[in-house]
Amino acid sequence: MNLLIRIHDWFSFLGPGVSYGIAYLLETIFILIFVGISFMALIYVFRKYMARIQLRIGPNRVGKYGLLQVVADAFKLIGKESILPANRDDLAYRLAPLIIMMTTMVSFVIIPYGSLAYFGSLTITHSDVTLVLLFGVLSLLPIGEILAGISTKSNYALLGALRGVAKDVSFEVPMLISALAIIMISSRSFITGAQTYNSLSLAGIVENQVIPYGIIDPLGLLIFYISMVARASFTPFDLAESDSELITGYTTEYSGMRFGLFYIGLFGMVYLGSFFVSILYLGAYNGPASSDLGFIYLFIKTIILVLIAFLAWVSLPRIRVDKFVNLGWKYLLPISIINLVYAGLFVLYIR
Amino acid sequence: MSRYTVLNLGPVHPSIHGILRFRVKLNEEIIEDVDITIGFLHRNAEKICELNIYANNIIYFDRMDYLDAMNMELGYVTAVEKLTGIEAPERAQWIRMIMAELNRLAARLVGLGAFGLDMGMLTPFFHCFAEREKIQKIFVEASGGRQEVNYISIGGVYQDFNEKIINDIREFSKNFKKRLEDIYNMFIHSEIFWQRNDGIGILEPDVALDYGVTGPLLRGSGIAYDVRKDAPYLFYDKVNFDVPISHRKDNIGRFVLKIEEMRQSIRIIDQCLDKIPDGPYFNNKAKKSLMLRVKGDGEVFSRVESDNGEFGVYVRGDNTVKPYRVHVRSPAFKNISVVPVMARGLMIADLIVIIGSIDTVIGEIDR
Repeated sequence: MNLLIRIHDWFSFLGPGVSYGIAYLLETIFILIFVGISFMALIYVFRKYMARIQLRIGPNRVGKYGLLQVVADAFKLIGKESILPANRDDLAYRLAPLIIMMTTMVSFVIIPYGSLAYFGSLTITHSDVTLVLLFGVLSLLPIGEILAGISTKSNYALLGALRGVAKDVSFEVPMLISALAIIMISSRSFITGAQTYNSLSLAGIVENQVIPYGIIDPLGLLIFYISMVARASFTPFDLAESDSELITGYTTEYSGMRFGLFYIGLFGMVYLGSFFVSILYLGAYNGPASSDLGFIYLFIKTIILVLIAFLAWVSLPRIRVDKFVNLGWKYLLPISIINLVYAGLFVLYIR
Repeated sequence: MSRYTVLNLGPVHPSIHGILRFRVKLNEEIIEDVDITIGFLHRNAEKICELNIYANNIIYFDRMDYLDAMNMELGYVTAVEKLTGIEAPERAQWIRMIMAELNRLAARLVGLGAFGLDMGMLTPFFHCFAEREKIQKIFVEASGGRQEVNYISIGGVYQDFNEKIINDIREFSKNFKKRLEDIYNMFIHSEIFWQRNDGIGILEPDVALDYGVTGPLLRGSGIAYDVRKDAPYLFYDKVNFDVPISHRKDNIGRFVLKIEEMRQSIRIIDQCLDKIPDGPYFNNKAKKSLMLRVKGDGEVFSRVESDNGEFGVYVRGDNTVKPYRVHVRSPAFKNISVVPVMARGLMIADLIVIIGSIDTVIGEIDR
């Protein structure tokens, strides 16, 4: 019994069409609220974690142990005046943060969350091609970046947007090829050889993972994780908003909550990316008693991945733009193609 | 539509270390030319110095290289002492040496932290500032000021070292050796740090000499010139220390060199603490009541090694209580003028790292 059916049953007196509509809506809101709260907790953890490493105390004023600091920051951002630059392209200027924000939010709806004790399965999108869908949604990010870059006629924003798009394009390819290797490995069960679940859907890939694919395909895990962190613009790769040369890149001319939306997009991307990696490579909600605790497993794996990315954030300097693009095209792309060949040989012989 | 983008960095920009303006001519992201505009922090310090009696000018020197205030004061005070013939007692000179080296360390720590920030490394900045804070606590104990100390005065120092200060310095120097290695390791073991700095900001020795560059920037190009060694002032000829040089000529070389110089500074402080004699810390000829009547005649030039290089002070007196002319040879001014040569043909991100590696202080450039 999953959450969707449960909600559907409550509203079944309205007829199947309406009740399913309401069920989808309510479940999406439920999941997004959960993601939002956990996301705020994550920002709090990040700030405390960073403060420990940097010999600081971190937030400790608002609420007990500073737990409400993130909420206070959100209210502060909303309350601030949003300064509009004079010679902007108005529609593009207003649309850009929304695209970044909505892309991240929609992506969270596609993730299969596994099941949690009473609620049953929390997965919202029951589609056969959720993997393709997720890549499709993520490919909207560069559009938001380039709109933000060109709409304000600022040199900093333009350079930042160019870097942002270079980043997205150069790291999407190795990411896709690594995912392709996973689709191949996942297409047959390597114990019985029988075709099992649909390997184009994220849920199917998780069901097929008797042992985590990260063990079978560690190279792919590495490439995918690096590309994901790079696409989330986390510090070794935060060229698009590198504060030392380009102020904040394509977000330079934004203020108030519009800037906050970019910020949510950035942190949301690393959170989402960690979900993505733990689904493809770490077996997501698989584990003992997964029908009750599946969601917890997924969550723990994701948080560990996010913390690793945080560690990189606080300890590494920023890579230079040409070296960065080289990393994508000269190293990750060839390695991911080798990885694809390896996956093919694996499916052919070791199965 | 021109082929070039002109990007304006500054006067207010997060990583220019103050208010300095760079107009960078970019071909895509490659730097074609850099145009530097200075003067945003000009406070007319040299002219103001002509309006005051000799003792009152020290505070204006505090505010030149505000990160390295002790060495700035030292430069002016040694010049005035030469001019007026007031000698500082021996104990005062040793105290001055300790304070000058401590402040050199403090200034280097800020420079290193900011260098990390310029590369996007946030963590070393806080570690550097935690150490600098300890130095500033010692300054507060001795002088009452954290940054603008106003400690070295004509004919001695403001206040004698007590037991607590000496113990604090001993404890600081003991802990700092280990902390310095930690900070060094944070940078040097990072592959990305090497990628960002290896072969970046090459400064040839002959170019450096042509531009009058001094300090770590010159020693980073392989020329062993240090005023402390070549024209010793205070008691720098009575302590053992080395003048490190680097033949790499790039950012990595300068970074390692600065760290090595900090080790040498700690070495000097340790020796000073052992050698510091008892005695008066102040020359009675330079008491506050007498300072109003101190007259200088003739002209002198005195130079000290500040954090950025050779800091020279020219003072000319016309036998009145006020100086006739004060002029400062500012090392940061000479050092920043070499940026276009170093940055040409590199990328915009490299320019930021080069400025970070030179580590200028705008207060000293503009005066």
